[in-house]
Amino acid sequence: MNRTIAVVTLLVASATASDLTGKWFGTFKVDGGDHTVPQLFILKQQGKTLSGSGGPNASEQYPIENGKIDGDEARFELTTGEWKFAYDLKQTAPDALSGTLKLQSVNDSRNAKVSLTRSQGN
Amino acid sequence: MIAGAFLLVLGITGAILAFEPELDRLLHPHLSRLKPGGRTLSLVDIGEAASKKYGGEPVVAYLPSSSPDVPTEVILSGVVSVNQYTGEVLGLRTRGQTVLGFMRALHVRLATGDIGRNILRWSTVLMLISLASGLYLWWPRKRIRIRGPWWSRLFWSDQHNSFGIFSLVPLLLLTATGIVIGFEDEVSSLLDKMYGTNPVHSSQTPEQSEPSQGSTELTPDQAIAIASAQLPGALPCRLQMPRYGGLYVVSLTYSDNRIAAERNSISLDPRNGRIVAINQSAGLTPRERFMATNEAIHTGNILGMPTRILAALASILLPLQVVSGLLIWIRRTNILRRG
Repeated sequence: MNRTIAVVTLLVASATASDLTGKWFGTFKVDGGDHTVPQLFILKQQGKTLSGSGGPNASEQYPIENGKIDGDEARFELTTGEWKFAYDLKQTAPDALSGTLKLQSVNDSRNAKVSLTRSQGN
Repeated sequence: MIAGAFLLVLGITGAILAFEPELDRLLHPHLSRLKPGGRTLSLVDIGEAASKKYGGEPVVAYLPSSSPDVPTEVILSGVVSVNQYTGEVLGLRTRGQTVLGFMRALHVRLATGDIGRNILRWSTVLMLISLASGLYLWWPRKRIRIRGPWWSRLFWSDQHNSFGIFSLVPLLLLTATGIVIGFEDEVSSLLDKMYGTNPVHSSQTPEQSEPSQGSTELTPDQAIAIASAQLPGALPCRLQMPRYGGLYVVSLTYSDNRIAAERNSISLDPRNGRIVAINQSAGLTPRERFMATNEAIHTGNILGMPTRILAALASILLPLQVVSGLLIWIRRTNILRRG
């Protein structure tokens, strides 16, 4: 019985945590901020490593740094200069990522909520 | 009365933030000042010195020195100050909240999230009503004098009246501009409806350049020289490296323009120096111009140091008005209770 549950759990987990490679659109909103900020990521997953680029749109893309996959969780960073963005996301569906973002400058530190959806046109 | 507590926070933090750049330099003197002298090194040399000191981290951007006695800053994972004459690394500022960052967080959102922001923006609306009612109450007697010993109700009543009328105009400006900032989304939609949303940003149509993959032919100094030639009189204040976004982006500022002066940027193809886009503060939309002017009034930057001092003084007077108003209310309540 326990073995069956373990197998089913593994199957469900692997079904949810599918490869993250693709184009992801979405937004983030800083806690206490005024508005949502658009996001576009072009992700490449190789095993447990995540690379690619991200930014507000296609013409402003920054390289992804320290990208790691752990089960259905993805963590990565990118730097735009004044701000460093540290994403901590969870794959909630094969084409959906959501989680938190920590933004840090040399004076300030803020938290935001992120929600991304994979573009079907990949 | 509850709003008064939040207005105290706004006033105290506002007075501090009026001098944020100066206080920031004061808190990091060794990273903010140097003795000028000698030939200025190239940005490549400055960047290499910073990167070498901190484990070979790639340079994200340069913040060129704004004055001969101010160091050049190099953005890595933190911000490194480098003596541009000797290449000496003066130190690193790591990312994270500082005391001044906390003051800003308090001023903008009570150092919390949406709840704090909503409390503050509605407190500023109450503040506007309070200022209007204060003027209404002051007008019949037009009292500008201070009588009685400091512990008397008369003293605090006179202080409230006299200081209130002198600080009325700056406080009205700070409050009205604060409301605009607090309700930015709503004001922006309204302005977009009134004036349209067509941006007139770029004087050239931006063409997307393929991001360069490491092979950079144009040096940072050359990129700055090309960009500076496009906007005579403007000073380069930031250079974003092409590894981050595919293009060199040079931001330039005009020292005599305090409204959105930093919003001039020129994007260059790192392979050949071709100008891909020019964004100028003169080309802002009416909404962007309105919001930038509003912010310049709120921070006191609109006319430089004199208006910043005025904004700080008005901000200091706000807590004083809250306290004196509270004291008058308490004493009046006690008198009424005694019959």
